[in-house]
Amino acid sequence: MITKGQKRKYSPEEVEATDRSNPIWESQRQFVFSVSLNKYQRGQELPEPSLRRSVLIANTLRQMSLEFCNAPAEDEVPPDSSLSGPEEVQQESPSNKIPSAKHHPAQVVTNSSSALTTCSGVSSLHSSHYAAGRNLANCQWNSSTVPLSNGDEDEEWESMSTDGDFSLSAAISSILTALDSNIEESPQAVQRTPFQSLENLSRSSEGSATWVKQGVRGFVGNLEEWDECRVRENQMEVTRSAYLTDFTVEDLFQDIDTSLLDKDKLFGLRGCGVGHPAGDDLPRYLLPISPSASSSQYLSNQNLKCLPSFSSFGPLSSSPASLPTIFSPSSSLFPDSRVVLPLT
Amino acid sequence: MAGVAGGNDFQWCFSQVKGAIDEDVAEADIISTVEFNYSGELLATGDKGGRVVIFQHEQESKSRPHLRGEYNVYSTFQSHEPEFDYLKSLEIEEKINKIRWLPQQNAAHFLLSTNDKTIKLWKISERDKRAEGYNLKDEDGRLRDPFRITSLRVPVLMPMDLMVEASPRRIFANAHTYHINSISVNSDHETYLSADDLRINLWHLEITDRSFNIVDIKPANMEELTEVITAAECHPHQCNVFVYSSSKGTIRLCDMRAAALCDRHSKFFEEPEDPSSRSFFSEIISSISDVKFSHSGRYMMTRDYLSVKVWDLNMENRPVETYQVHEYLRSKLCSLYENDCIFDKFECCWNGSDSAIMTGSYNNFFRMFDRNTRRDITLEASRESSKPRATLKPRKVSTGGKRKKDEISVDSLDFNKKILHTAWHPKDNVIAVAATNNLYIFQDKIN
Repeated sequence: MITKGQKRKYSPEEVEATDRSNPIWESQRQFVFSVSLNKYQRGQELPEPSLRRSVLIANTLRQMSLEFCNAPAEDEVPPDSSLSGPEEVQQESPSNKIPSAKHHPAQVVTNSSSALTTCSGVSSLHSSHYAAGRNLANCQWNSSTVPLSNGDEDEEWESMSTDGDFSLSAAISSILTALDSNIEESPQAVQRTPFQSLENLSRSSEGSATWVKQGVRGFVGNLEEWDECRVRENQMEVTRSAYLTDFTVEDLFQDIDTSLLDKDKLFGLRGCGVGHPAGDDLPRYLLPISPSASSSQYLSNQNLKCLPSFSSFGPLSSSPASLPTIFSPSSSLFPDSRVVLPLT
Repeated sequence: MAGVAGGNDFQWCFSQVKGAIDEDVAEADIISTVEFNYSGELLATGDKGGRVVIFQHEQESKSRPHLRGEYNVYSTFQSHEPEFDYLKSLEIEEKINKIRWLPQQNAAHFLLSTNDKTIKLWKISERDKRAEGYNLKDEDGRLRDPFRITSLRVPVLMPMDLMVEASPRRIFANAHTYHINSISVNSDHETYLSADDLRINLWHLEITDRSFNIVDIKPANMEELTEVITAAECHPHQCNVFVYSSSKGTIRLCDMRAAALCDRHSKFFEEPEDPSSRSFFSEIISSISDVKFSHSGRYMMTRDYLSVKVWDLNMENRPVETYQVHEYLRSKLCSLYENDCIFDKFECCWNGSDSAIMTGSYNNFFRMFDRNTRRDITLEASRESSKPRATLKPRKVSTGGKRKKDEISVDSLDFNKKILHTAWHPKDNVIAVAATNNLYIFQDKIN
């Protein structure tokens, strides 16, 4: 039950709860955190999870993330280095956890989101807990390999970590919602199906959410990053669909001469959907779409908004009406009508 | 009534134990609820297999007047069967969550039993006479040929072996989306309430196709859910008052006269948290697992993970009494969280005169607190101390380094042996303690 690689040198019991500077407290906190996430997920896998238990565990997780966010920021670290910090923390060695965690409070301070919904520091913590490949940790926004290079991207970074992060409470919220939709057949449950699918996607493929984020950044910053991201089929599809559906078809066609549409290549894209070939082709197809920085900015913002945190998602609130379609299990992730990739 | 703890005039001794002795306990045999009826004559238990076993108190025998009578099996029936919800692809457990007796109004006994989704009203009646000498049928039930009947006779009632029949009289189904955790019969003897994680419904005992929802704490957005209902009970005398407890350690008292929907409480009981004892598990251990009104109706008792609190209904800001059940577990909360024991739901009960309270703990220990003398005692329900009329020896858990003789250290406690369900006879000093699949009955030694 103990996360691999975590040594319990001290008995976690004898720790003063209020003594936060105590490293024992910190290690106990991390231990409890990982155990809580474990429990939550295992509880959800049961055919009928106990609501009381789920709520208690979720509240404990929320409280711990709150406490962490409220911990005083040790240094004011510019977002650049805070990004690079966790990049190194890919392994779950306990000694690295704490420094990276300490960097993040600075970032949290700059976020405008409510303390309850976001804690990017927490996400890095549980990302290191779950480097072994657990669900939530795969949403490693912070471990993106794309470095920040300019001020615009700083902004995007923050907003990404705000709303793109599968933040703790967002995940909890989604789990509670999924729990509810398991238990109660209601219109609400029906509307919430898209969440479930998204969650299942991120759960089923390791690092898929990471991929999505990297894709976004790649699109915004430099499309060459796109080439570097070699991942599995469903991840690709998620990314593609995330982009494509955010544009309306009209937007796509504005810059594209449909006579240039090469059917062969189109089918090729649809057909393989796997790794290399599509990955190679896609950037080329996408390049013409983003003629100017401003539009790319716009598109990037749109992309960011198309992956809101669960807690802010409402069935009618988010603009991309296409979003439910994309993530509902019934529709194909690569719907024919939308795969209109401009071909050179 | 005498006090609970030691003393010269009062001691608890073993009376009976029901259940198999096997080390291998079948899951279905685990007792999940224990309840005396209003007179104490009947004792009902429900188990995980959906069965209800009722014990009846035999009259004291004249030959051994110093012993109270024993409880013997009166009736056994299958109350609930496992069901399958095809719509949600979920199996509904047959485990009996609660049994509540109705006050007796005629020769038959009535009780309500519930599993996660369905409440049933059972009628338990005796039959000790049989009619013999029917005209139209033989003794073995075969129809007689009408042409063979030459004379009429009046059937006579002949005594027969006592037969106890249990028949379901009402089935109250499909009213709860979430798992039912409590049922409580109202003092008007006509209505009762049932509570699940998020809602409380009010039923009429005669009407099965409708119930009124009186409390609904389900948020519009399930993502905002942070609190669930853990227990509910009707006031013993005021039929318009009920309370419900939450997973956050709060109790709300509601008055049904105030509004049709009692989402807004009339009184809110919460003890402010002690900041010095705050930990990661503060909320989990504050979750109330049981709430019981005193027989007088003036107090109520709540059980959270580590303590039992007695509240005066007139004072909302703190309990009037707090009893630590197993404070030595406070330093072990992390491990208890890991092995899920922290989620165990212990029940508590009053004695008939409200002078003492009882609740369970681990290692088959149970604790009793005398409210007047402030004395407490820890006893164990075990086969070893199960000799007839053997006095129970008080047990002690050592918390410090040095372990005295006969003490048990915290690390040696068996957390799989938990006493979650206990019941106290409404009039006498007889207690029933459920230890996994065994039911122990203890009584005081009459000196």
